[in-house]
Amino acid sequence: MRLAVKEELFDEPSCEHNGVAKEKKACKTAAPGSSTGGCALDGAYIVLSPIKDALNIVHAPINCLGNSYNQRTSKAVNGKDYYMYGFTTAMNENDLIFGSEDKLRRGIIYVHNRFKPKGIFVYNTCVPALTGEDVEGVSKELSAKFKIPVVPVFSQGFSGNKNLGNKIAGDALFTHIIGKKEPAIDLLGDFNINLIGEYNIKGELFLIKKALKSIGLNVLSTITGDSTIEEIMYSHKAELNVVICSKALVYLARKMKEKFGIPYIEESFFGMTSTNKAVIDIVNSIGNMELVKKAKDYIKIMTKKTEEKTYEYKKFLTGKKVLLYTGGVKSWSLISALNDLGLRVIATGIKKSTDEDKLRIIKEFDKNGNIIMLDNGNPVNLIKTARENNADIILAGGRNQYTAIKSLIPFLDVNQERLEPYVSYEGMECMARLIYSEIKNPLFKLLKESI
Amino acid sequence: MDNLIKNIEINPLKTSSSLGAAVFFLGLKNAVVLMHGAVGCASFDKVTLTKHFRENIPIVTTALNESGAILGGKDFLVAGIKNVYEKMKPDFIGVASSGLTETNGEDIAGIIKDFKDGQGIPFADVIYAGTPDYKGGFEDGYTAAMLSLLAEAFNRNKNGIPIKKSAKRAKSVNVFCPPSFTPQDFLELREALEYFNLNPLMIPDLGLSLDGHLDERGYLQTTSDGFDAKNLQDIYNGEFNLIIGLSLKDAVKNIEGLTGLKTFYLPNICGLKNSDKFFNLLSKSTGKEIPEKYKRQRRQLMDAYLDAHFYFSGKEIALALGIDLLDSFSAIYSEIGANLKLGITTKIAGDIEYRFLDLCEGDLDMLDTCGNADMIVSNSNAKFYAENLGIPLLRAGFPIIDEIGHNYKHYILYGGAISLAVESANLLNKE
Repeated sequence: MRLAVKEELFDEPSCEHNGVAKEKKACKTAAPGSSTGGCALDGAYIVLSPIKDALNIVHAPINCLGNSYNQRTSKAVNGKDYYMYGFTTAMNENDLIFGSEDKLRRGIIYVHNRFKPKGIFVYNTCVPALTGEDVEGVSKELSAKFKIPVVPVFSQGFSGNKNLGNKIAGDALFTHIIGKKEPAIDLLGDFNINLIGEYNIKGELFLIKKALKSIGLNVLSTITGDSTIEEIMYSHKAELNVVICSKALVYLARKMKEKFGIPYIEESFFGMTSTNKAVIDIVNSIGNMELVKKAKDYIKIMTKKTEEKTYEYKKFLTGKKVLLYTGGVKSWSLISALNDLGLRVIATGIKKSTDEDKLRIIKEFDKNGNIIMLDNGNPVNLIKTARENNADIILAGGRNQYTAIKSLIPFLDVNQERLEPYVSYEGMECMARLIYSEIKNPLFKLLKESI
Repeated sequence: MDNLIKNIEINPLKTSSSLGAAVFFLGLKNAVVLMHGAVGCASFDKVTLTKHFRENIPIVTTALNESGAILGGKDFLVAGIKNVYEKMKPDFIGVASSGLTETNGEDIAGIIKDFKDGQGIPFADVIYAGTPDYKGGFEDGYTAAMLSLLAEAFNRNKNGIPIKKSAKRAKSVNVFCPPSFTPQDFLELREALEYFNLNPLMIPDLGLSLDGHLDERGYLQTTSDGFDAKNLQDIYNGEFNLIIGLSLKDAVKNIEGLTGLKTFYLPNICGLKNSDKFFNLLSKSTGKEIPEKYKRQRRQLMDAYLDAHFYFSGKEIALALGIDLLDSFSAIYSEIGANLKLGITTKIAGDIEYRFLDLCEGDLDMLDTCGNADMIVSNSNAKFYAENLGIPLLRAGFPIIDEIGHNYKHYILYGGAISLAVESANLLNKE
């Protein structure tokens, strides 16, 4: 039985949330009676399920998978579509009493024989963790038998929140997948990098790859959008890890630095300024002068092109007020994107932000101290702030969509439910168009008059 | 049978009992659902329900952590109830348990009772439904929550809390609908009953709470409307109980016992025959004639069936639905003369097997065996199979997350059968 999560996962030296007080560790769970974010299982599944030739088996009663699957918008092309499947052992009462290791074993054998995957992730959850199922043993046994990684993921929800689950998944990849294979020569370019924490929501990875490819960078592995087990196995051959908008997977980048000596940087591709900065940071880290020159030329062209394309939107949006409520890293990277469009961020959520994030917001965007820092994600507070400050639009995650529109305030989803890609130069255009048409929509005026 | 061999659910059709209980509680007025479990138990449900109903869904968690999971979750539960009450000011808190909190065998009902007894001040109603996720499914959790609420009414009645005699303008009647009813189904049924000069007390009332109306109060933290638990005792003023739904069949005796009222049970009210039964029953028990509106609708339905039936000729349909919708839809399709090639459900009940070439319990993966069907009727998760097989998908059931407007659709009574017949015929006719 393995109940406790590695202590190490709660202790992330590179995460500001680690805090001073011992009990205020990173990634502990919410208070009773609060509205919820996801659990460790949710977080682990989000990271691992986009790997398109691996299967994800949730060893749990029906609720953990059955109540909510197939809802992410990660995209994959060319190859297997296993990420569209949800597998669960759907433990019943008998399994609880008599144990369900054998059921799990037979289940894994069945799906292996049918799908012939390149890897299998087996998620341990609350109930089997309590009854002490040997998920690790079954995984080990079948991994040897099938000669593919069968990876136990100890993501029982009571251990912690979604961020912890991200880390647990990162740990599983680090322990069982990364470094297990060497890449074929033709897969290596002159400059090889990995993207970590990019899940290809609405095809965003393709836009980022397009930009990087234009200046001669080879994305060796993506962890994990549109990826394969093999590609992650040889990710240790890259010379730089780029962690995208994900504090939680900095853990994985740090482990890879320790073991393989791969340096890492944290970047965002939201908006033009961020994208420009990311590209420059990457080429500077690699340190090839020719590459740097190429990148600078590319940025110049793309900046001009994007400015032209967003000109009309920007004219309308300049000075319009935004209330931004999203977690952590995304706050400052989005503020940068919104500033590119002339929008004024009047308030931003900082609940999930680290001290470092907050400082960065203040330093880069809030020199006059005008931005309201919302520590309380309570929807009532959100609406109150928006109304008092005459916000023209609320940008937040899907959970706040109905909070905003029921209050007749224009809204745009900036989390994983978003309808179109927002990253890189093309994504900037999308975002500009969506914010423009949302604020401009006469519907809100009509309804305000009619209610 | 196939599932016994594979030992694994692949793209499940089934959802858990805690989700069913949550849906029941969402049909109460000014209510919040408190999931007793790890944070994920609430958040997975909240995400799906929000996407399905396109409404804010008030579900919160007791956020059990490691020590709570091992040593017992009492403190978490009590803190959860207190915090919800202070922050959201609900009139009603529905507590649903989970696999996690039922595994260690804690006396959750006892903890809640002690807590309530210890409250000197008036507090929200707190009702607990035992919903271990490893036992039963969606429908079982819904029924468990319903019986918990009725047991509370029964106890209050027994303890001598006086029954408020209402000024009897219209005769009150208690209505229990299955979890498969869309919010619009609830509203249509309410209207039909009102035509017979009955005042329906719908328990729960998802029509009032989740029909997708813009409340003048704007955003609300709790459910905006629904069955008001403050009027719980009113069920004893009822003329009779009306129970609908195959999944509620086992609860009929219990409901009858707890309310002490005459009880009518209809497995479903979909299609011509079943709607006839419904209207005849109402006409007989109220002594009123069937309203002209419904007589007209009945003739429209017969005509719609005639128009639609050509498109079903030689076509085969595969359905993967919960038992209530499977019964309702197959009743309508059978009347039009459609060939039902395959029926997949989570728990077979009732005498419906004869309508299908093949009827089984299982997951959506079994749709792979329907090969050359002409239409699949199932929830959004079946989209993947429908696209792979190149078969059109009629979305019904739970969850529907990739289309909007589901809360405004209805499938009950004559009008509902018209909708389904026409919608299906058009889909079958599409090249």
